Amino acid sequence: MKITSVAATAFREERGRSRASCLVELQTDQGLVGIAVGPHSVGARLEQTVHELLLGEDPRGVTGLWRRMIGARSKVGDTVLAAEVIAALDIALWDLKAKANDEPLWKTLGGSRPRVNVHAGGCDRAASDDAVCEWFLTMARGFGFRGGLLEVGTDAVADLRRLEMMQRALSERSAEPALMIDAGGRWSPKEAVRRMREIESRFDLTWVEQPAARRDFLGLKRVSDGVRSAVCAGEGIESLLPHLHHHALDIVQVGTATRGITGALQLADAAFGFELPVALSDSPGNIHAHLGSVMPYCVSMEVVDPEPAAGVLSSDVRIEDGWAIAGDRAGHGLTIDRHALAKAAT
Amino acid sequence: MKITGYRSEIYLMKMDRAVGDANLPEGVDLMPASILYLETDANITGISLGWFGGGAVKTLFQAIENADPREAVGLWIRMNDWVHKAGNEGEANYALSAIDVALWDLKAKLADEPVWRTLGAREGRVKAYASGLDYCLSDEELFAFYRRMAEQGVDSGKLKVGLDLQADLRRLEIMRDALSIASPRPQLMVDANEYWSPKQAVRYIRQIEEKFDLAWVEEPARRWDYAGLRLVSQQIAAAVATAENINSVADVYPLIANQAVDVLNVSALHSGVTGCRQIAHLANLYELPVSMMNCQANFMAQIAAALPNHTMMEVVDPGREHCLKFDSRIEDGYIVLSEAPGFGIEIDEAKLAQLKANPPTGRGRFPFPRRAGAGRYPVPPAPGEVPWRRGR
Repeated sequence: MKITSVAATAFREERGRSRASCLVELQTDQGLVGIAVGPHSVGARLEQTVHELLLGEDPRGVTGLWRRMIGARSKVGDTVLAAEVIAALDIALWDLKAKANDEPLWKTLGGSRPRVNVHAGGCDRAASDDAVCEWFLTMARGFGFRGGLLEVGTDAVADLRRLEMMQRALSERSAEPALMIDAGGRWSPKEAVRRMREIESRFDLTWVEQPAARRDFLGLKRVSDGVRSAVCAGEGIESLLPHLHHHALDIVQVGTATRGITGALQLADAAFGFELPVALSDSPGNIHAHLGSVMPYCVSMEVVDPEPAAGVLSSDVRIEDGWAIAGDRAGHGLTIDRHALAKAAT
Repeated sequence: MKITGYRSEIYLMKMDRAVGDANLPEGVDLMPASILYLETDANITGISLGWFGGGAVKTLFQAIENADPREAVGLWIRMNDWVHKAGNEGEANYALSAIDVALWDLKAKLADEPVWRTLGAREGRVKAYASGLDYCLSDEELFAFYRRMAEQGVDSGKLKVGLDLQADLRRLEIMRDALSIASPRPQLMVDANEYWSPKQAVRYIRQIEEKFDLAWVEEPARRWDYAGLRLVSQQIAAAVATAENINSVADVYPLIANQAVDVLNVSALHSGVTGCRQIAHLANLYELPVSMMNCQANFMAQIAAALPNHTMMEVVDPGREHCLKFDSRIEDGYIVLSEAPGFGIEIDEAKLAQLKANPPTGRGRFPFPRRAGAGRYPVPPAPGEVPWRRGR
């Protein structure tokens, strides 16, 4: 099987967090198409990368091709953009590898059928109090969520009030809902310790995401040493070597947006060596559920769109009783509604 | 697709030549071996080679019976949890490793592709280095071994050392000379198999380094002594390679986190294909290379090909494949793997039956012992103990 071409279609859709996106379709000589959804910006560099590095290659050699793309990174421009391009292509390659075997991605990866614990994200700081209440009630009642992640960090009083709202909503499904917060790197380390101490006097938090700048492993370590909650970070950090070596994290956040599936699997294995749990980030169609089954210490996966079965993309990962369950469709299970795509294309 | 049963063969083989190290300089030519066959309802059998001890497979098989072998990683997690209390150690580790290897063989055979492709490698090609396990070889045999390897393009070699500095220096020169037809500057490695204390290692290696540029020194101190290994690494120019005698990423962690290791030696006994890959991924985070250990028919090259940070694989080739059929080869210094499904290895059952009916005789010591004086004072080979130290 050989890669013959790539197509990129930018589209805009108001669903979950995926607003301006780019659909990547990697075509092969056998008619199989591997797909991925990346940020809007990947389209520009896609064709060049595929032509230089992937054309004529067998997509089943995906981990080797990932290395080839990483090795050639300097050729394709600035690193942030390149990381997202490589990640999108890597996801499309894994989709092809699984489709070539006519099996779901979780099986190609060697997983047993995934049943991944999930928590509800997707409530940003701009949401009104009413919207926060309604969102977490919907997630608890409709999909059984027992955990929620709230974005915090600019208004200490509002944060406490909204945490209580999230807790009350999730209590509909669980006596002890898992409460998580995401500070998005908005605090300094000592500010984080002060805010966290205040929050922890009223709530038992499972983890806090990015309580300091994500690159600041010393600051994150300082926060971890000063609070009860687990400190979680990982997304957007190119190398986690300093973070892991200096024990700055208690939970490693793993995603595919900049690492691809190959990089995510590597990171999860390294975290396992450290006896550190991993948390899967939000993903288009919740396809990260496939990865959960090969990560021995996966604690939970973030979900911002529990019903990715409508619109441009549909997925066969379903959210039920607070679990994500991947289906049997070949590949990662994302499929495209061409009609909806034509309407949403930008 | 389900795993329905297993069977195993345990046999004794006589290698084409003896192998020996600092702990057993006189060498052995007998080696116990086993083959594990995992059977499925699809009439495809997964094979695992090496040594699993025979004991714990029966227990661990309960964890995978009726499961889909394509779920190899999920089953690894299940087996690892299964042995939780006593740990992934000893016989349990042998069994877990052997089962995992056979599962990957099945997974690849079911996809009708070689294991290297199942694991996502782009090509089935792995750089090789020659390793004589050669303390028991005469100087002439030593030269012949490395020259034969060099004729196949292999440009790196690893010598067994540790008991007799002057002899080791002479033999390093012989190895370099033999390899020089493959490269004007062959990479030289040495392996002491934990014979030294850390400071003995530093003194010994510093003296070697006055004359030779060493790429790595293997097991210069005990396998778990991260402080000692780090001390050695800090005081010599060569990289410290170790990990061959530990079993899992959990055991490797203290070595890596304490910066005690520069190159990780991995094998099927590092909790199978799955465990091996976990170690490589942890090492990769630390920008450390891994090196696959020698094995029958070099079958683990299939995994090495897919690891992101693999440097070169040990090739010993002492003749351990009498009842195996395989078609990997060494070409231009690389192990070249075929497109045959799975590990690409078939068992010659007739030869195996012959071997079992007529067990060979020779020199064997299993498990390998530790030599007197190890970690305390060197006990050089006695006259007549090795061919290069003649009897009086």
